[in-house]
Amino acid sequence: MLDNFNRLVLANIGMLLDGLGVTLYICFCAFALSIVLGMLACMVRMWVPQLRFVAIAYIEFCRATPILVQLLWVNYVWPDLFGFPETAMQAGILALALQSSGYLAETFRAGFEGLPKGQREAALAVGLSRWRIVTRIEAPQALLVVAPLMINQLAVVVKSSTLVSVISNPDLMYQALKIVNQWYEPIEVLTVVALTYFIVLFSLSSIANHFYVRFQTKYGLAAGT
Amino acid sequence: MFTYLASTFDPGLLWEYRETLLQGLQQNLIIFFQSAVLAVLLAFVVGNARASRSRPVRWMAICYSEFFRNTPEYVLLVWIYFVVPLIISKMIGSRAGFSPHVAAVLGLGVAYSGFLSETVRAGLRSVPLGHAEAATALGLSPFATFRRIVLPQAIRRMLPEATNQMISLFKSTTIVSLISVHDILYQVSVISSSEMRPIPLYTGVALLYCLIIILATYLLNRLTDRWRRRGWA
Repeated sequence: MLDNFNRLVLANIGMLLDGLGVTLYICFCAFALSIVLGMLACMVRMWVPQLRFVAIAYIEFCRATPILVQLLWVNYVWPDLFGFPETAMQAGILALALQSSGYLAETFRAGFEGLPKGQREAALAVGLSRWRIVTRIEAPQALLVVAPLMINQLAVVVKSSTLVSVISNPDLMYQALKIVNQWYEPIEVLTVVALTYFIVLFSLSSIANHFYVRFQTKYGLAAGT
Repeated sequence: MFTYLASTFDPGLLWEYRETLLQGLQQNLIIFFQSAVLAVLLAFVVGNARASRSRPVRWMAICYSEFFRNTPEYVLLVWIYFVVPLIISKMIGSRAGFSPHVAAVLGLGVAYSGFLSETVRAGLRSVPLGHAEAATALGLSPFATFRRIVLPQAIRRMLPEATNQMISLFKSTTIVSLISVHDILYQVSVISSSEMRPIPLYTGVALLYCLIIILATYLLNRLTDRWRRRGWA
């Protein structure tokens, strides 16, 4: 057992760490992109009545399609339709961002709509412009409320990112399966990889939970959903 | 532009292979129902264990739900498909193996039982303790108290969250194609590689899933709303 562990895991630790690096890179890029897309979709949905229908369709499509289907769709279909993404890495990032932006848009909306109405009325009464009300009064409070939910969403992105190995991105799961296929001894490698994912995800959800409780007790804020 | 789009999204191909695709979808539904039953059963066991008086039982239940909530489904699926048979064969001393179907049901069921056990726990806790005490005072047995007093109220509170979990379980059934269960996505990849044209099928499947899930969400929400308002027990 220990012998196998040394031979399979420690000897290949460089590969596995490279894979972990790729996983984290993809997750980071996808999450950053999904915040931008989600914010955009949320703002269009709330403040641009002419385009509301488009935003709702976008959000619902992103939320209702399984991530694996989206991944394959973006990877195989988009290059022919739109000319991008050019690499599997870009396709992975794009698909993860797409999926998560739909959820984030709804999270942001819950944050904005959960604010007390009096905040906006008071800001109007002291003569702030509409833009100022959003940037100075509403957004800071709403973002604080949704921050724990955003960390949870990041955990979901990390979880879904295991699937980018399917379109041959060299992430942690891909490297692990490569080692497994090389040696036909899956026990040690797969267990170590499962535990690694568990540790990453568990710390993320603990952080989210910590902030959720803290914001609730300290500022009396509670997320709507 | 339009003719280009029409040639890339060709519904005819979808129609031509409808039987294969529907067989795949049926496979998805079977796995969904089996793993949903498994997940609900396990979730009730674990959710009850989390309210147990004994500390070790409580801790084991916490570890169980945290572990399965925080491990990606794909990793879990691969782990169960490859590793668990090996461990079992070492224990019983002869070769054992799962079919992909069994591994898929086990993996998804166990993964979602982690999420659902939280829902069950929250639902059970939301029933005021006084109700159970009153039932005990009236002379109901512990089992009858649970079945007649606590469970009906708890289930009503669990329903919205549980439907969400079921929807995401259905979405997750797509990943069983990766351990070569012949589900819809597996059929699509087989057809695509024989036709050399991925576009119509992948787009079609994406839209199909979108449609199914939006419809299912709408119907389930309407259904559970009625149940909750009517006081279904």
